[in-house]
Amino acid sequence: MSTSDILIEVKNLEVLFPIRKKKLFSSEVRQLRAVDGVSFDIKRGETVGLVGESGSGKTTVGRAILRAIDPTGGDVVFHTNGNDVDLARVEGEELRKFRQHMNMVFSEGPVQLSTLAADRLRLFRSKMSLVFQDPYSSLNPRMTVRDIIAEPLIASGMMKDRDAIDARVREIAGRCKLNLEHLRRFPHAFSGGQRQRICIARALVSRPDFVVCDESVSALDVSIQAEIVNLLKDLQEEMGVAFLFIAHDLSVVAQMSHRVAVMYVGKFVEYAPTEKLFFEPKHPYTHALLSAIPQADPDADFNPIRLEGEIPNPLDAPSGCRFHSRCPFARERCASEVPEWREVASEHFVACHFTEEFEFSRPNRNTKN
Amino acid sequence: MLNVENLSISFRTDEGLITPVQGVSFKVEPGKTLGLVGESGSGKSITTKALMRLLPGNASLSGETRITYSAKDGNEVEIHKIKPNARSLRQLRGGEIGMIFQEPMASFSPVYTIGNQMMETIRLHRGCGKREARELAVEMLEKVGISNPSERIDQYPHEMSGGMRQRAMIALALSAGPALLIADEPTTALDVTIQAQVLDLMRDLQRDLGMGMIFITHDLGVIAQIADEVAVMYLGTIVERGATRDVIRSPKHPYTQGLLKAIPSLDTLHDRLSPVPGDIPSPTERPTGCPFHTRCPDFISGICDINTPFEVSPVAGRSVRCWLHSDVQGGRSAA
Repeated sequence: MSTSDILIEVKNLEVLFPIRKKKLFSSEVRQLRAVDGVSFDIKRGETVGLVGESGSGKTTVGRAILRAIDPTGGDVVFHTNGNDVDLARVEGEELRKFRQHMNMVFSEGPVQLSTLAADRLRLFRSKMSLVFQDPYSSLNPRMTVRDIIAEPLIASGMMKDRDAIDARVREIAGRCKLNLEHLRRFPHAFSGGQRQRICIARALVSRPDFVVCDESVSALDVSIQAEIVNLLKDLQEEMGVAFLFIAHDLSVVAQMSHRVAVMYVGKFVEYAPTEKLFFEPKHPYTHALLSAIPQADPDADFNPIRLEGEIPNPLDAPSGCRFHSRCPFARERCASEVPEWREVASEHFVACHFTEEFEFSRPNRNTKN
Repeated sequence: MLNVENLSISFRTDEGLITPVQGVSFKVEPGKTLGLVGESGSGKSITTKALMRLLPGNASLSGETRITYSAKDGNEVEIHKIKPNARSLRQLRGGEIGMIFQEPMASFSPVYTIGNQMMETIRLHRGCGKREARELAVEMLEKVGISNPSERIDQYPHEMSGGMRQRAMIALALSAGPALLIADEPTTALDVTIQAQVLDLMRDLQRDLGMGMIFITHDLGVIAQIADEVAVMYLGTIVERGATRDVIRSPKHPYTQGLLKAIPSLDTLHDRLSPVPGDIPSPTERPTGCPFHTRCPDFISGICDINTPFEVSPVAGRSVRCWLHSDVQGGRSAA
């Protein structure tokens, strides 16, 4: 794919949360570096998986791209088709004109999302969307399914005509395999899998280019999970939407994603096409993570690599390479020098000083093959 | 050690009487692990709550239910007959049968320290003094792999990470010295690396203490690693049972086959996943005949939707409830 296929470019993204520690007469402010210099890109119609342990900053990356949390540093550039009009700098009369021709706005040039002012950001919300983990708490119990799905269209001011909205809602509900009779019901009448399909319909109703799925299948049973994964793949093929798929279950991520990024304490440690990452990992952390996936095979050789200690607190993240305190291969240099984020093979990025010395293969390979 | 026969649990609800668990029988042996697998709503958790008599007030056990447990002192306890406020029930909960829940944050009290809560349990069940209880608690925390146990013991649950809290939960359950441990999805909320550590820990502790264990999960990958025997539940009945290895290698029931096929595997990265079609029916709309017939790919019209299959044993040590594996004629006359 050429560079023009890039939809979202994240450069040096940084999110700091101030943590106040109150003392008797003063307070001390420390910065929690939730996301610390993350760079990657997402292509049109692609799924990028994001894995990591809890507390590694996966969710914060997703939200910072959507500007649900304001990033404290770095750039998030949203490339749209056509010529180069930077919406971050569009003002007054011109902006109003754009608002009236919403769809036209989005066919204009790249947009610097990380500095976009709030009122202009609203325009972009219909181009990006989010599916949450818990389909029970993310649906308003007092709204009918039709109103829930129509909400993004109304909130962004994208559509005003009731019949047009109805038609769009019905179309997307059908695509998400919801029964049209269900549209008049309230969410309590639905099972977990059906609710998640409602959430997906809501996320896709404005025909976004980009959707963040934050642990969207983690709370579901295997069978329903498989159904939702298939649905997301189908919708991607039909609508060309790109996904950032955040999950801690590595096998689901492998199934969903074209490329996968591994995060550890606020930083990316590895980013590569799915097969490369799962079958030829280049970072010791990725390797350890893969070895811990339990396989439904009693004969598979299951020897998870035991990492010493716990995931560090991001408030006092280790110096140098953040993984050095638990890495079985750590040397002196790892504690003092931050490893460079470099491309070691085509599209395979790693942050490790000694990656060339390691020869990892896929752990726990099934014995039957 | 624990013998459950014909366990049926009914709930009185506004929509009438529903029976989410019907005729469940199983045994647990000391030092062995029984895995209970099934989708949400299949009755796994309610079954184990019945063993502890922790069911809510609108639930009742059927007349045929027999739950017998041989206690540490050698006495047989008939759990289904104990009165709800009996003294022996207190000894049973915690002292004989320990329980670990999915959400460790929800099972600790947030306003007491970990040590405080452990010492309460230890003093109640072992009848020892404060100082001795504290020493035992520190020892337990050390056993589950918590570093600096003598400092950690004075921490509150919110000061610990998820994996740490789950270990503390295990230490709490074990501190009363149970002979049987019920673990209800203990690793579902944890990251894979921590999950692997907790599973390792539970395996080691079981070997050292010789406990029997019931392990509930919906993850067949976890079952493959920890359980000796597995029982697959669907809509409140056990549809298939056998040694873990055999069940996973050659599943007999179409539901077990479907569950195994739905697991995403790294060997088939670009294939579509194959979910079990349809949704699990709600307990108020229980299908007639075989409860799985509405979703079964091998459904035989006129048999599966009318007659409830009984448990048959196609191979020694295995049992399955499915008409595909039983004599169809015999089934008709029995129903």
